[in-house]
Amino acid sequence: MVTIAALVFLFAPLLIVILFSFHSTNSLSLPFEGFSTRWYREVLSDRSVRSGLEVSLKIALLTAAVTFVFGTAAAYGVSRTMSRLKGFYAALFVIPIAMPALILGIALLSFFSDRGIRLSTMTVVIAHTVFVMPFFYVIAQTALNRIEVAQLEAAADLGAAPFYRFRHVILPKVLPVLLGGAAMSFVISFDEFVVTYFVIGNESTLPLVIFSRLRRTIDPSINAISSLLLFVNLALWLAALIYSLRLQRRRRLDALAQTEDIV
Amino acid sequence: MTPPPLLVLQDVTHRFGDNEVLTDINFEVAEGEFLTFLGPSGCGKTTTLRAIAGFVTPSEGRVFLEGEDITGLPPHKRPVNMVFQHSTLFPHLDVGQNIAFGLKVAKVPKREIEERVLESLALVRLDGFERRRTTELSGGQRQRVNLARAIVNQPKVLLLDEPLAALDLKIRLEMEVELRRVHRELGSTFIYVTHDQREALALSDRIAVFQDGKVIQCDTAEAIYREPESQFAASFVGDANVFEIEVESADDDSVETAGGLRLPVSGCAGSQGSYWLVVRPEDIRFGPPGGALEASVIDSAFRGSSLTYRADCPALESMVKAEIPDELGTADVGTTVTITWSADRARLLPRD
Repeated sequence: MVTIAALVFLFAPLLIVILFSFHSTNSLSLPFEGFSTRWYREVLSDRSVRSGLEVSLKIALLTAAVTFVFGTAAAYGVSRTMSRLKGFYAALFVIPIAMPALILGIALLSFFSDRGIRLSTMTVVIAHTVFVMPFFYVIAQTALNRIEVAQLEAAADLGAAPFYRFRHVILPKVLPVLLGGAAMSFVISFDEFVVTYFVIGNESTLPLVIFSRLRRTIDPSINAISSLLLFVNLALWLAALIYSLRLQRRRRLDALAQTEDIV
Repeated sequence: MTPPPLLVLQDVTHRFGDNEVLTDINFEVAEGEFLTFLGPSGCGKTTTLRAIAGFVTPSEGRVFLEGEDITGLPPHKRPVNMVFQHSTLFPHLDVGQNIAFGLKVAKVPKREIEERVLESLALVRLDGFERRRTTELSGGQRQRVNLARAIVNQPKVLLLDEPLAALDLKIRLEMEVELRRVHRELGSTFIYVTHDQREALALSDRIAVFQDGKVIQCDTAEAIYREPESQFAASFVGDANVFEIEVESADDDSVETAGGLRLPVSGCAGSQGSYWLVVRPEDIRFGPPGGALEASVIDSAFRGSSLTYRADCPALESMVKAEIPDELGTADVGTTVTITWSADRARLLPRD
């Protein structure tokens, strides 16, 4: 019973949002008066929505790319260091998870204005990268920690210099996981609101467009945008999930094949 | 004039923190030699091998290869290759690509890479395996590929760190034969690490016996077996009876103990004090009862061409292990015999 109640609690709002995005009138309450895709058409032809979508995609792509490069470098550096401060370094990269988005937004805003940096999509990308980095870092670190030292030693023994070892031994192993991490960074950046609100310039990301529309009118076009976002996110997560499940299955089969031989 | 040694370790000492794991390691390896580091786990044999490979930079001492000091050179710049205890094949590459790895790094022309990969696969008798995935291989096949991946680079020294330890006995015996054959066919220099004395005896030209971070004896397998310089070497290489005795007096072919026993051992005239007396089981013979070294047979086991016995000898205050050929007759469990050995088969080693 409790489980069912919890599920209803979780999914009913989502279902209501999706349901009314297909409403033929502009009422947002029951009874449901007819099915129509007019709100989708309206939203997709709306210029502010389209530009918001464009800005959001651009920022999310850039954020994912920058996070991928710097996050991988950071995690690799920490995973290979022999320093006693290894744990401390790792913690430094993860601790920002605990920072509230609100504080991060304010801090970055005051930093940018103090340095005289004009707010733009670039400042948003910087902010999103700061925000997303700990999540990506944890994923990358886990993957890199699974690399066997013996394999790296074997590669070194065969003449491979450090960068060659990274490029040809480590990267092929962790790339799928890192791409998954980048996809997650993309999704988080894509619907991030709070930090964006502080550091954006003249443009608007999709969540900001929705927010400003909400303040003007409430009609099913909001539901349509929300549903679209939901579908896109869901599709991305599903793709990532299926991909990682298949990867795991393959790994398990490989591991199985190996243990069979040892026995 | 003898050619200069290929590899020289000079006063190599290594510490992990306060823990000294290697102490004054010194030896030379000649071109084409099969040298084995033999010792129990934690004796420093693997650390020494890793110092040659470059994974360990010794705290003190030098490593020379072809007269050149390579002590500080990182592993990827050393012309040596290693086969590890557990397979280190790269899972994202197939067998051929794995073997080609070192050649690709060295930017060897593509056609030559292909030829050499096939050659080395043939050498380890895995012709036709070049497109297999590494996960499709058995444990023994995998170590053959690891071997091929190392020798394809024509290393000055091939280092083998207990490469057979993870395999089961039957495959291990096969692989020993293969290793000897590969060594013969290549004529290159192998250094092999093992804790298995049988393996060491079967494979090596020379054995370096390690104990507590030191090389306590480095010689041919036969010399170590016949003339061990310490009780440890005697009991670690091959099976041995080691008797603890106090020598009162000694002449050319026997010693007299504090307890008045006269024991045959040659070439020890003038010895006096605490000694180990070492006699190999196969040098023990049983005579009719009534001698000074009377013993009762506790246990016997059939070993094909010989029988092994354990006999309790009160005079020596010890259990005696014996291995006696079939044709010399058998002794039943419970019977009393006299232990004998010839003086030139026994060795007297000082006990401190």
